[in-house]
Amino acid sequence: MDALHHLLAGFAAALSVKYLLFALVGCVLGTLIGVLPGLGPAAGTAILIPLTFSLDATGAIIMLSAIYYGAMYGGTITSVLINVPGEAASVVTCIDGHQMARQGRAGSALGIAAIGSFVGGTLATVALVVVAMPLASLALKFGPAEFFALMVAGLCLVVGLAGNNMMAALLMTVIGLLLALVGVDPVRGAPRFTFGVEELYDGIGFIPVVMGLFGVAELLLAAEKRQIHMVEAELKSWMPTAAECKQSVGAIGRGTVVGFVLGLIPGVGAIVPTFMAYVLEKRVSKTPERFGKGAIEGVASAETANNAYANAAMVPLLALGIPSSPTIAVLMGAFIINGITPGPFLFQEQPALVWTVIASFFVGNVLLLILNLPLVGLWAKLLKIPFSYMCAGVLIFCVIGAYGLKQSLFDVWVMLGFGILGYLLRKLDFPIAPAILALILGPMMEKSLRTTLEISGGSFAIFLDRPVALTLLAVPVIVVGFLLFKPRSLAPLRESDVE
Amino acid sequence: MRRRTLLIGAASLPALVNESGPASAQDAFPSRPIQMIVPFPPGGVADISARPVAHVMGKLLKQSVVVQNKPGAGGSVGAALAARAAPDGYTILMALSSISVLPVADRLQGRPAAYELDQFAPIALITADPTVLVVSADGPYKTLKDFVEAAKAKPDKINYGSSGVYGTLHVAMEIFAAAADIKLFHIPYQGGGPAVAALLGGQIDALASGPSAAIGQIKGGKMRALAVWGDKRLASLPDVPSMKELGYDATFYIWSGLFAPAATPAPVMTALRDAAKRTVEDPEFKEAMAKVETPIAYLDAPAFAAFVAADAKRLATAVERIGKVPEK
Repeated sequence: MDALHHLLAGFAAALSVKYLLFALVGCVLGTLIGVLPGLGPAAGTAILIPLTFSLDATGAIIMLSAIYYGAMYGGTITSVLINVPGEAASVVTCIDGHQMARQGRAGSALGIAAIGSFVGGTLATVALVVVAMPLASLALKFGPAEFFALMVAGLCLVVGLAGNNMMAALLMTVIGLLLALVGVDPVRGAPRFTFGVEELYDGIGFIPVVMGLFGVAELLLAAEKRQIHMVEAELKSWMPTAAECKQSVGAIGRGTVVGFVLGLIPGVGAIVPTFMAYVLEKRVSKTPERFGKGAIEGVASAETANNAYANAAMVPLLALGIPSSPTIAVLMGAFIINGITPGPFLFQEQPALVWTVIASFFVGNVLLLILNLPLVGLWAKLLKIPFSYMCAGVLIFCVIGAYGLKQSLFDVWVMLGFGILGYLLRKLDFPIAPAILALILGPMMEKSLRTTLEISGGSFAIFLDRPVALTLLAVPVIVVGFLLFKPRSLAPLRESDVE
Repeated sequence: MRRRTLLIGAASLPALVNESGPASAQDAFPSRPIQMIVPFPPGGVADISARPVAHVMGKLLKQSVVVQNKPGAGGSVGAALAARAAPDGYTILMALSSISVLPVADRLQGRPAAYELDQFAPIALITADPTVLVVSADGPYKTLKDFVEAAKAKPDKINYGSSGVYGTLHVAMEIFAAAADIKLFHIPYQGGGPAVAALLGGQIDALASGPSAAIGQIKGGKMRALAVWGDKRLASLPDVPSMKELGYDATFYIWSGLFAPAATPAPVMTALRDAAKRTVEDPEFKEAMAKVETPIAYLDAPAFAAFVAADAKRLATAVERIGKVPEK
């Protein structure tokens, strides 16, 4: 019960006015970072480190963690309102979130995102306290072969759920994977498809692509219709209704589990848990055809998984000293500079400090909820601004975001180019999400596949020797095959659409 | 009006990061955040050194120094990015010993080098440590003798991870394998951090690691250190023998140092060198490095340049001994 004692002491410290204030400032700044496209959690947290120079160790870490959580939430706001994800983990939220906004349910979407984030984040923190050490070691058994299989499973499920558009979804996935090949080969270092263009050496950035395909394309479609407002429907409510909350309970529970489990595995990143949770939700739903047309469970599952992931990703850091993502590495740097060495000894050597930080995770999640729920109405009201102004504002916002990423005008052209492409694809009824997921997952898939083949000496038979990888690979293949050849028995599924 | 304020407010944050345009003459360097490229994923020696340097340097310069992980091809992807960056001091590189190896290796593989060493101007050496040979604490190898005997009994069966083909940790292990006359199976990862995770997860049998990336795991009982590449024992691991004293002529130091693109103007270089010097002297930095048990090995630009040149020569021989690595 030593842990409980330390945790309570931690709460006493984290709830002091001073630390509450730091957490609050962190949440606000983090939300702002999340709202800005092009400034993701990793860069945003790093830039704000100087703000913590004058703080003591606990205060600095509380504030940086709050920035991190805030950023994970902030991306949701632009996803829902203007179909522009503020960071990678919010891509999936666009799919149903923006549809909800178009139906006048922006308040519900943002509200359920805040609630889901809170529940996911809090439950993941509880799990962190209880099972951090054993699970962290277990997650390391997840090698490159399993990692690759997980990615393949994810992409197959996305394609498999595309219903009537399955061929189109498959095509879009392949296009996304091809785009992901552009740039320098991650293992050998040879440039590929760069055509001597300097900017392409670093690959095609997914942020400009996403802003183009989602955001700019959306503006073009709306402009064509001569809309008066960004969202034509009346604002219905600012809060999710009781019925909507009830619909989302299962999604929030499943999202928490998916986000937490995947967060334990180093290197997975924030986007995989969000779309895995989304796909799972669509699979278990009795009415999968609602997905992509404003299903609140879609928003709830992705947003919950996102925050559960963010908290679970702390487990490998605290328990093993392994930073599993660049954002977590920023936090690790802050830990070290403040005299804390994450790793197996952390809990024994500095229990007071660790438990205060863990307690502050709880506090941070509560603050995010308190901060965001009252603001939901304000955000939703933005949609009532006349379209002619709003459109220009969003476009400026996108251009600054694309440019700001690397101060590169090239990225702005990429965004505009993909904006036009996105417009055409939407007109032709091609789903866009599979291409984006493939573009983001492509480099990770390639690295894990090539490491797997290095281990096996080039033989694909290694997948047959690894039961977890084999299962992960087999399930989606069977599901997709089933959908292709037994169309009638699964008719309701096929009517639905990922995009 | 509220919306306009909001948009302008939102616009100013990326602007804060990325104010473009050449700084006018009266602007003191740095007038905007500096990005420090780490050509590896988080968790390896370069990343572990870079974070405290960035933190303290940012404090001293009163500008954020933002660490950017740009992994790939043993560090060559990030190094090439830094080599091509605008030489204005706002992009610097935290590189490892491998910076001199990778161009040599590229030519050995028969392709144009991703960058050349002379595209960089050295700023300062930050750390230099002999690498340490680690295996899983649950594994069968208790001593270096066990390890060598097992490797002799089944050549090419014991596998080891590295920071990438011809990366620092690959070269270190091959220097030892040559000295002990054994053959090991090489599995390249994206950097030292993922390789440490792979050893902990049982994906690989052994690893040559920078001490800072492994010391927590060794002291926490998850990994066993068999020997260090170096002439003498490490202060932080006094019980671990050196390869020299066990009779193997294998020496390898993994060092981390800061570089800027070669054409960076002299006043900016002076400012960066001064900032690096003040950083390593800062008590906060010293304390952070002590936490990861990494001794600071500071050298200013001229001495560092000579050090790099000598090291490059020595490593080139080692790389030629490894020879061409077949593509799988």
